[in-house]
Amino acid sequence: MPISSRFLVVLACLAALSMLLGQYFIWFYAPEELTMGVVQKIFYLHLPLAWWAFMAFLGVFVASVMVLWTKNEKWDLWAGVLAEVGVLFCGLALVTGSIWGRASWNTWWTWDPRLSTTLVMWFVYAGYLLLRGAGVGGVKGATIRAVLGIVAFLDVPLVFLSARLWRSIHPTVFAAQGGGLEPEMWVTVWVNAVAWGVLFIVLAVARIHNQTLAHRIDYILARFRDTTLQHKE
Amino acid sequence: MIRSTLTIAGKDLRLAFAGGQGPVQAILLGLLLVFLFSLSAAPGDLFSSQQGMAIFWLCSSFAVVLIFSLLFRFEEENDTATALILSPAPIQSLWLGKTLAGAILLGLCQIFFFLAAVVFLSLDVQGSPALLLLMIVSVDVGLCVLGGLMGAMGHGQGAKDTLLTIILFPLQVPLLLGGIRIGTEVLYGALAVDVAQWFGLILAFDAVFSGAALFLFSHVFRGE
Amino acid sequence: MSEAEPLLRLSQVGHFFGSRLIFKGVSCTLDQGQIMLVAGPNGAGKSTLLKVMAGLLEPTAGVVTRQVAHKNMAFMGHQTFVYAAMTALANLEFWNALYGRGLKEKAIIDLLDRVGLKGFALELAGTFSRGMAQRLSLARVLLIEPELIFLDEPATGLDRASQAILHGELTMARQRGAGIVWISHDLERDLGQADMLLYLNRGQMSYYGPGADFDLEEQA
Repeated sequence: MPISSRFLVVLACLAALSMLLGQYFIWFYAPEELTMGVVQKIFYLHLPLAWWAFMAFLGVFVASVMVLWTKNEKWDLWAGVLAEVGVLFCGLALVTGSIWGRASWNTWWTWDPRLSTTLVMWFVYAGYLLLRGAGVGGVKGATIRAVLGIVAFLDVPLVFLSARLWRSIHPTVFAAQGGGLEPEMWVTVWVNAVAWGVLFIVLAVARIHNQTLAHRIDYILARFRDTTLQHKE
Repeated sequence: MIRSTLTIAGKDLRLAFAGGQGPVQAILLGLLLVFLFSLSAAPGDLFSSQQGMAIFWLCSSFAVVLIFSLLFRFEEENDTATALILSPAPIQSLWLGKTLAGAILLGLCQIFFFLAAVVFLSLDVQGSPALLLLMIVSVDVGLCVLGGLMGAMGHGQGAKDTLLTIILFPLQVPLLLGGIRIGTEVLYGALAVDVAQWFGLILAFDAVFSGAALFLFSHVFRGE
Repeated sequence: MSEAEPLLRLSQVGHFFGSRLIFKGVSCTLDQGQIMLVAGPNGAGKSTLLKVMAGLLEPTAGVVTRQVAHKNMAFMGHQTFVYAAMTALANLEFWNALYGRGLKEKAIIDLLDRVGLKGFALELAGTFSRGMAQRLSLARVLLIEPELIFLDEPATGLDRASQAILHGELTMARQRGAGIVWISHDLERDLGQADMLLYLNRGQMSYYGPGADFDLEEQA
């Protein structure tokens, strides 16, 4: 399915607008948090990034299952693209989370189950991207990548549970997060979640678009080489 | 299924020990790691049980990679992989056979790792050795189940199979955390309430990835 | 199994690697006691076709039907399928167990005798020459007592004596009623022994019929 460039431009403009709207909500609509002050506003980036990263990894899993099920390599393309966007968002979520942690708990890193799970997932999917880039799998590459995509996602709940158990005998560093948000704050979170979602879709569609073109060029080049070879014979 | 699994495991162990090699590479690497970590404490300082267990599982984790890369390398030399796929043995029995052989080799390595940890890191078991053994076996199952699947993915990839470790190590995190935590408590001889939960988690890992591997192995290990 | 049903039947079989066509539109049958030669220029997809026939690869198009169970099929290619770090005897014992043949050691030694390796039963297969390793591979095929045999130029790089043993055993297998698919590089040498010939060229089956009616000049 070729995606038209015009559609992409419209989508990108939409993403820009919704991001602007999100920023407006962050700075002018949401009230300033009393204890943390202006630093708390990073939360409005952090949470949507983490959500969409998780959605991306879920997408990798679904696309991987579809590769094995339908044997259609189109899904393999989707898995790769979603992993790229997922690792990007996941990385940003880690950085913003760390800055937030520094401001609120006075430490850059803490053994919080959510934070640890995000880090492990970042490792897993960054490795997954590296393997894709290296062309692991040869002829059966799409299948191997699909199996990795499935196995990686199965690990997520186990990592989360283990990180939570691990922490349980240490004293909790902080009270459960997310509680005590003003209604305006929640609205801001949701507006930003939607904005990042649109950006997420733009990035994924743009990558699919240029990967499809790259594949088509490869195909044409291969055909071209085949015919020149036959002429030489 | 069981017969062909045992046949394959037997053949792999036979090949592993042919020429007196066995899992020597894995054992040496593990011993080296224990020795190097022993340098991280000042003379006279004691290692905590948690440090000891962490180093023990680190060695085991590396050993799994070396062991399964060895086991699948056997099938590359004269393309015996193709002959195995064409044989009437169920494809899952190939995975199960290799996983079994790998677990036996890993267990052998761990005897050396543990002894080395006792010597170099002054590890001391105050709790129940039976519980320690049970924990090691249940973590080993998970490590080998995943190792067998990853080994099959690395099969026929040349040098690229080492790249798979980048994804294998973080996947092992829940198992390794469980192994370290239970191990630490058994070594102290004071069991906290969460040991049962940790066992539950480790067994869940074993079950989830055994199921996944049984289903996925036939996709990974096939003719090309 | 009814008499009329062929051991192997391909209907409109095709194979692609990604978007690259290897071959398409291959239809053929193989009956008991028949030898089918598969030939064609380099890169015509002969080995891929053989793998599809043997069930090692799923065809991307068409249907392959086999009247023979997995345990009664054998494959022999350039690769010897030999474990170099085990003795000749241990190699055969492994396949004996995996195929559930239940042969005693004496019977396995007899097999090694048939391929002229009796004196080497306890030697490591890794020390064998290519000819000897391929004889061991032949012994593996004989151990299976296959009804359907796939050969991917097994004679390449073999000495005369090993070739003679190979041809002799194949003739016997055919007389037993086994069907044989055989990729050949040397049509002039092998065409005389074949019942049928399948010629692949540029992704198509350009000839399929009795070997005697084939005109090599015309294909070239």
